[in-house]
Amino acid sequence: MGGFDFSNHSRNAALHAQGFPLPTATSTGTTIVGCLFDGGVVIAADTRATSGPIVADKNCEKLHFITPQIWCAGAGTAADTEFTTSLISSNLELHSLSTGRQPRVVTCMTMLKQHLFRYQGHIGAYLVVAGCDPTGAHLFTVHAHGSTDKLPYVTMGSGSLAAMSVFETAWKGNMTRQGAVDLCSEAIKAGIFNDLGSGSNVDVCIITPEKATLLRNHITPNEREKKMRDYRFKKGTTAVLNQKIITRADISKYVTVHELDDGTPVAAEKMDVDT
Amino acid sequence: MQPTGMLGEDGIHVDMNHLKKGEVNLGTSIMAINFKDGVILGADSRTTTGAYIANRVTDKLTQVSDTIWCCRSGSAADTQAVADIVQHHLSMYAVTNDEQPTTQTAAAIFQDLCYDNKDQLSAGIIIAGYDHRHGGQVYSLPLGGSLHKQSYAIGGSGSTYIYGYCDSYWKENMTEEGGIAFVKGALSEAIKWDGSSGGVIRMVVLTAKGAVRHLYLPDQAYEGPGKQPKAV
Amino acid sequence: MSSPFSINGGAAVAMVGKDCVAIACDLRLGLQSLTVSNNYPKIFPYGDVYLGLTGLATDISTVSDLLRYKVNMYRLREERAISPQTLANLVSSSLYERRFGPYFVSPVIAGLNHKDGKPFICGFDSIGCIDFAKDFIVSGTASDQLFGMCEGLWEPDLGPDELFETISQALLSAVDRDALSGWGAHVYIIEKDKVTKRLLKGRQD
Repeated sequence: MGGFDFSNHSRNAALHAQGFPLPTATSTGTTIVGCLFDGGVVIAADTRATSGPIVADKNCEKLHFITPQIWCAGAGTAADTEFTTSLISSNLELHSLSTGRQPRVVTCMTMLKQHLFRYQGHIGAYLVVAGCDPTGAHLFTVHAHGSTDKLPYVTMGSGSLAAMSVFETAWKGNMTRQGAVDLCSEAIKAGIFNDLGSGSNVDVCIITPEKATLLRNHITPNEREKKMRDYRFKKGTTAVLNQKIITRADISKYVTVHELDDGTPVAAEKMDVDT
Repeated sequence: MQPTGMLGEDGIHVDMNHLKKGEVNLGTSIMAINFKDGVILGADSRTTTGAYIANRVTDKLTQVSDTIWCCRSGSAADTQAVADIVQHHLSMYAVTNDEQPTTQTAAAIFQDLCYDNKDQLSAGIIIAGYDHRHGGQVYSLPLGGSLHKQSYAIGGSGSTYIYGYCDSYWKENMTEEGGIAFVKGALSEAIKWDGSSGGVIRMVVLTAKGAVRHLYLPDQAYEGPGKQPKAV
Repeated sequence: MSSPFSINGGAAVAMVGKDCVAIACDLRLGLQSLTVSNNYPKIFPYGDVYLGLTGLATDISTVSDLLRYKVNMYRLREERAISPQTLANLVSSSLYERRFGPYFVSPVIAGLNHKDGKPFICGFDSIGCIDFAKDFIVSGTASDQLFGMCEGLWEPDLGPDELFETISQALLSAVDRDALSGWGAHVYIIEKDKVTKRLLKGRQD
């Protein structure tokens, strides 16, 4: 990456200048948190992805893999968090291969902040970076413009205010693993229930010097009630004008299967039109 | 449509709101002073995004070489990036010249970066350091990228409230205790009056003996705990 | 002023069934309120994986051609057909490459996994963020209506015939409440050994 293609940019800028709005990217209007404990670090996230007021994904994954011992929670523009974390993940793998050392969390944080600073906030990735390395357990936040903070407990995203209120009332130093998991889950739940941009389930990742444990859908407080009856339609409900069956043998035999107009009308493509 | 660049048609105008949109800001109170045995740097600990306090225990006092530190104000991202680059340059300088850089050298590198990129940066930095050739020195590097050697420097949004305080209480060649009291008194006034400043007061005392960190908490009326046993 | 996504109009939807997947689109092509064509399909086959594209028509044909080129190159290099998961990542990275000058399209993918035959569907935003859904994916100017229809009609483990009725009724009802979509529909039901393509009768207004 870094190899962005700007060839559509002038067209889109001209369109925008005429008053066309910019596309609404899927954003993870999100609650993400992290908390250090005695012997490790926990990060957690909700699982709602939004596009404007629409819930685009009810159970998306916001905890991103960087290295086996470094994980990242992402808020902001969903595509940016996804691609930025996977880019840094690749580069860290190459880095640790060439140095012959386990990657450090500060290295990861520095690579992220330098990448994001270079793009001056246009890459909308807001990240919580957590992990364990030979120097201990670490927790950072990285903002889209490239600023970083190092704190014992952190929150980000639209639900960060709700989540921070939980931390500021209940956080204590020297927590246990279970205490940290519970506190992070409570903070995410505060986001899920009090922030409209956050919702659905709680994902948690616990990282200790020995191993990382991803608890996907650790808490599911918003299960949909099973439908008591159904809307199954009887076969033949929908009026079909024409149908064509393409066998798998045909598909695998040719590069593409096209319906060509060879003079004889191909019914599947034809409809009566007023002339 | 709003122009997206920072330069206006005259090529001079700088749109400050553009820089600050959604960005993490160190709406800050920072200062550094000379005293009898060296320099003291001081700062509050508040960083904000709009009205939200993103970090209430921020460390705005950043080490860029063994005996040179800086106070950062303005955009957190910009000042961190600048400080990281300067730190890199100074460590290369120390190796290639087999000699620790002077405070003036550090300040000149800071100025190079801040002046050359002044259209893209919002960074107000105070550089303070101790070297055996010149002793303690304080340099102020405000927004446009000009560099000023001063006996003491104040900066950040909170500094506007303490120009009078500093002017009337400033004395050359104060003792360490006197210097600490001066910085603490000035910063607690700045914190009191400036909404964008707050939290704890952090200090670094730089002398021939090295750097010592101090911490003063609001719940102890900025009286303690004071000198930190080890670097925090 | 309207968005580039709603100049030409159009809708697409994909659904998961039991050992089968379905993908469907409307056939309208318009210029604002003027309908230009009533036979503009928005689903493109890449081997046995199907891609639905809604949004700006010029970008629909650019992206579909670009991906046809990329998928053909993949077939030549790898000497095998592209799997739905691979196509999803190809679409995603192709769109993200244009992060700062995107194509105005909202793609949808449907297919069966080559190894275990498991149903796979996913959707994207215009800059390549993948939405892996277990149930259904909607896109286009009728996406709000489709969300409502699918949320109500869809249920797990529908057979190919039931899935056809469900996706067809969801699409037809949704586009009837969208002025920019409709004018008939194409529905593909993808099963292990065959793909059934059907042309639906829809309102012509």
